[in-house]
Amino acid sequence: MRLLKGKSGNFSAIDRSARYDLPLAAVTVALLAFGVLMVYSASKYNAEINYGNEFFFMYKQLFGVVAGLIAMFGMSVLDYRKLIKARYVILGISVILLVLVLIPGVGVENYGARRWLNLGFITLQSSEVAKVGYVIFAAAYMSRNSEKMTTVRGLLPMIAVGGLICVLIMLEPNMSVTMCVALLMLTLLVIGGARFKHLLLIIIPLAALVVVLIVTEPYRLARLFAFLDPWASPLEEGYQLLQSFYALGGGGLFGVGLFNSRQKYLFLPFSESDFIFSVIGEEFGMIGCIIVMCAFCFMIYRLVRIAQNASDRFGCYLSGGMAALIGIQVLINIAVVTGSIPPTGIPLPFISAGSSSLIVFCGGIGMCQSVSLRSHASIRALL
Amino acid sequence: MRQTNSITKTQKRLLIVIVSITFLFCALVGRLFWLQIVKGGFLTSKAADQWYRDIPIAAPRGKILDNAGKVLADNSPVYTVYVRPNAVTDKHAAAGALSGALGLTEEYVEGKLSRAQSEVTVARSVEPKVADEVEALGLKGVYCAPGFRRNYPYGNMLSKVIGFTNIDNDGQNGLEGYYDKYLSGTDGYLYSDADIAGRETEGSKTRYVPAVAGCDLTLSINAEVQSAVENAVFAARLEWGAKSCSAVVMDVNTGGVRAMASYPSYDLNDIPRDDVDLLNLLSKNSLVTDVYEPGSTFKIFTTAAALGGGVVNDNSRFYCNGSTTVDGQRIKCWKTTGHGSQNLADGVKNSCNVVFMNLALSLGKERLYKTLRDFGFGQKTDLDFFGESAGIMMAEESVKNVDLARIGFGQAVAVTPIQLITAVCAAVNGGTLYAPYFLEKAASPTGETIYKHSPQVRGRPISAEVSERLRSLLVGVVAEGGGSKASVSGIKVGGKTGTAQKYKDGKIAQGKYVSSFVGFAPADNPKYAVLFIVDEPSGYTYYGSLTAAPYAGRILSSIADSEGWERESEEEKQYIEMPEVTGMSTFEAVAILEKTGLKTETVGLGTVLSTTPAAGLRVAVGDVVLVRSEPDTS
Repeated sequence: MRLLKGKSGNFSAIDRSARYDLPLAAVTVALLAFGVLMVYSASKYNAEINYGNEFFFMYKQLFGVVAGLIAMFGMSVLDYRKLIKARYVILGISVILLVLVLIPGVGVENYGARRWLNLGFITLQSSEVAKVGYVIFAAAYMSRNSEKMTTVRGLLPMIAVGGLICVLIMLEPNMSVTMCVALLMLTLLVIGGARFKHLLLIIIPLAALVVVLIVTEPYRLARLFAFLDPWASPLEEGYQLLQSFYALGGGGLFGVGLFNSRQKYLFLPFSESDFIFSVIGEEFGMIGCIIVMCAFCFMIYRLVRIAQNASDRFGCYLSGGMAALIGIQVLINIAVVTGSIPPTGIPLPFISAGSSSLIVFCGGIGMCQSVSLRSHASIRALL
Repeated sequence: MRQTNSITKTQKRLLIVIVSITFLFCALVGRLFWLQIVKGGFLTSKAADQWYRDIPIAAPRGKILDNAGKVLADNSPVYTVYVRPNAVTDKHAAAGALSGALGLTEEYVEGKLSRAQSEVTVARSVEPKVADEVEALGLKGVYCAPGFRRNYPYGNMLSKVIGFTNIDNDGQNGLEGYYDKYLSGTDGYLYSDADIAGRETEGSKTRYVPAVAGCDLTLSINAEVQSAVENAVFAARLEWGAKSCSAVVMDVNTGGVRAMASYPSYDLNDIPRDDVDLLNLLSKNSLVTDVYEPGSTFKIFTTAAALGGGVVNDNSRFYCNGSTTVDGQRIKCWKTTGHGSQNLADGVKNSCNVVFMNLALSLGKERLYKTLRDFGFGQKTDLDFFGESAGIMMAEESVKNVDLARIGFGQAVAVTPIQLITAVCAAVNGGTLYAPYFLEKAASPTGETIYKHSPQVRGRPISAEVSERLRSLLVGVVAEGGGSKASVSGIKVGGKTGTAQKYKDGKIAQGKYVSSFVGFAPADNPKYAVLFIVDEPSGYTYYGSLTAAPYAGRILSSIADSEGWERESEEEKQYIEMPEVTGMSTFEAVAILEKTGLKTETVGLGTVLSTTPAAGLRVAVGDVVLVRSEPDTS
């Protein structure tokens, strides 16, 4: 790498592609700043009523943003190739965090699920770490075994690790993150070159598992029906979704304007976290929603570009994996908020309140910047 | 051959991923379009229910007026005092001050102030003066909301017809209930933005939607006539010690109810809401809801049927020896001594059961039933009132001759008073049956007429000629027969008395009667019909001719006065001294009294015990006197 970089001095065209991806940095910072604003708007009434300080959630979010920016910068400075060697350590840490969270007394229980570790200055959501941990592990594995990826045997270690993480997350329980990791695994396998008919080997049992889960746990069935017809139980299962609909519907095309959301007056639960997109839709209308979605699309596009220009398979898979993770999580979040899939709690990356999510996603972007910094256009030409 | 995993393939795969993600994003934009643009208005209107807290502004209820515009029901302004406990700073001090102003105990008020609710009502129906005092205290978190209380200027007049409202001013029964849709206005609202717990949010704008008053109703009732009727039922109940007395006055040419009253009754301004049984009993308008056996008043319709059917003419003669035998069963005339030979006019005057049994039998059940049905018996009259009964008529196919004979003189049939008077109106107005009604007109608060009643013709049971003949027969009853006490000096009155025994558990209840009189005036061109019912008069004076007829006469007389009817030059009434007949046989006594020109009603048969009036008192020729006898002991 250093060798390549040294040479690059002579070729200005190569030099330009081996830089910090400024548009990516700009869209990341823009989304973070918008997130702080929206967290404040969505939470100020709740914060005032319940914490006596309208900035309560905004301050927490600012802390998360600062920590996230530090993580982003740190990860971009760090040579991403060192992560290959650290892949087992990273995977180990992810799994340990996921196990720790399940231990009563260690994991913090909230809303009937153990998902958080209290580190004093921050409550860490283990599954957030595990998602990026899995991207790193998978990228490393796929880059080292790229020729085996077209065989079933070559896929097995990735599926095994992905399955383990899924099971651990499901034990919390956290259905939505499980779904997210499963989809992430599939997308990574697609990028990694797995054959589509092999993917059916994962998709079919996974679909079966979902059906079994729904049948064995009737409360999930009830939640599923609530999503199909929230009007049937407007005060129980359907409540959250209807409140989200009211926010979106109230926004119309142009929205009611910043800070003018009515649904934030405690009607819409989790308005500053998992359902912040509803508040965006209420205050900025469909236009605002489309702009935010375009920003995410642009971010994904930049990440895919970094992947395409990466100097090695690991960097390519790493950036592609991050693009997939962000894409999947944004899609799931918006699909939940709009009642397109059963309601599950998953934050909107970079915008929803929640420090661990912010730090992990920013770190991931930093990681991709590191790939960008160390990319070499000529590598493509050589191969 | 194993597929290679080249960098080109990775590029392709990355493209697949980004295209898929973009496609899904577009699908979600479609979903957003559906929710935000297509369903936006609907969702916003649904959400508005939770976004605003509304404070209702009570709409004043419409007034109820009589046909001359006199107010029968209106509203007085009152206030509801309520508190928002969260906003009350010093609860103890506030409780002290409030309890003083409202006349409540301090503990009670403090209890209300300590509730964990956003709003607590402390007192309702607070007079404006008291509300001013409360406002003057300047307490934080204490509010006076204006509202209305129903006010009835005449108190217990027409109470069973008007009915009442509940504490929220919703009509419950009577016309208040029946016409609630007209009377109740549309409440206005003060809207303000609120959070999920109803707390007003910062910067909330208050929007005002004014209340719309209810419609004013003009009734066919006339307060003056009603007042005369109320006095009559009250006085009659007192005089006869009856269980209850009631009366209806109806405009014979439209079916409009001019007055309707019964006693015991209650005061609309002081409703016994705490005693539900008593309230139900007192507020029931039995003139509409209950049936009774009409007795002789029903003979009007047998006569009408007989005249219409051509089974009787002026030359027909009937012989009454005190009873008649139908299919082997002996049915007595009320006058067990018999009426002898009579023509139809005598039969009606004497109210001779034998005559009407003969008429019914010669008509046959088909013809009699058809006429009765045409008069509306066995069906509701369509009066604008809740709970009307249809009356009871035996199923035509199961009517035997014995039953037919009884129906002919008003037994084995049950009618509602409103049904009877409605039919009588048709009998005397030229033969047109109208649907009775209370509501003459409904006007919006801006004075616009939104409903106006026009008389509803339900049929023509008899011809004008038969009606005219009936009128003259019924005039005979008042002029020379058992209805003489209903006569009004200078006014031609027609009518018919009725005395029916009450039944309990299918058996005759001894000593319990429903005595009634139904009449109309002026007889040549009738304007009003009146039905007066004395339910269970106590003692021996129970004949309709003695109990009900005088009060019906009094009512007609006061109508004549209030409407300024011209009275013909009064004939000099001839007075005689009541002859002494005590100790004679009933037959002898009746013969002596009728020879002097008096009409007699008898109680018992045998030796005369006493008479009313007693011997030696002044009595007008043509008056009805009562002869009470006991069976001979020998």
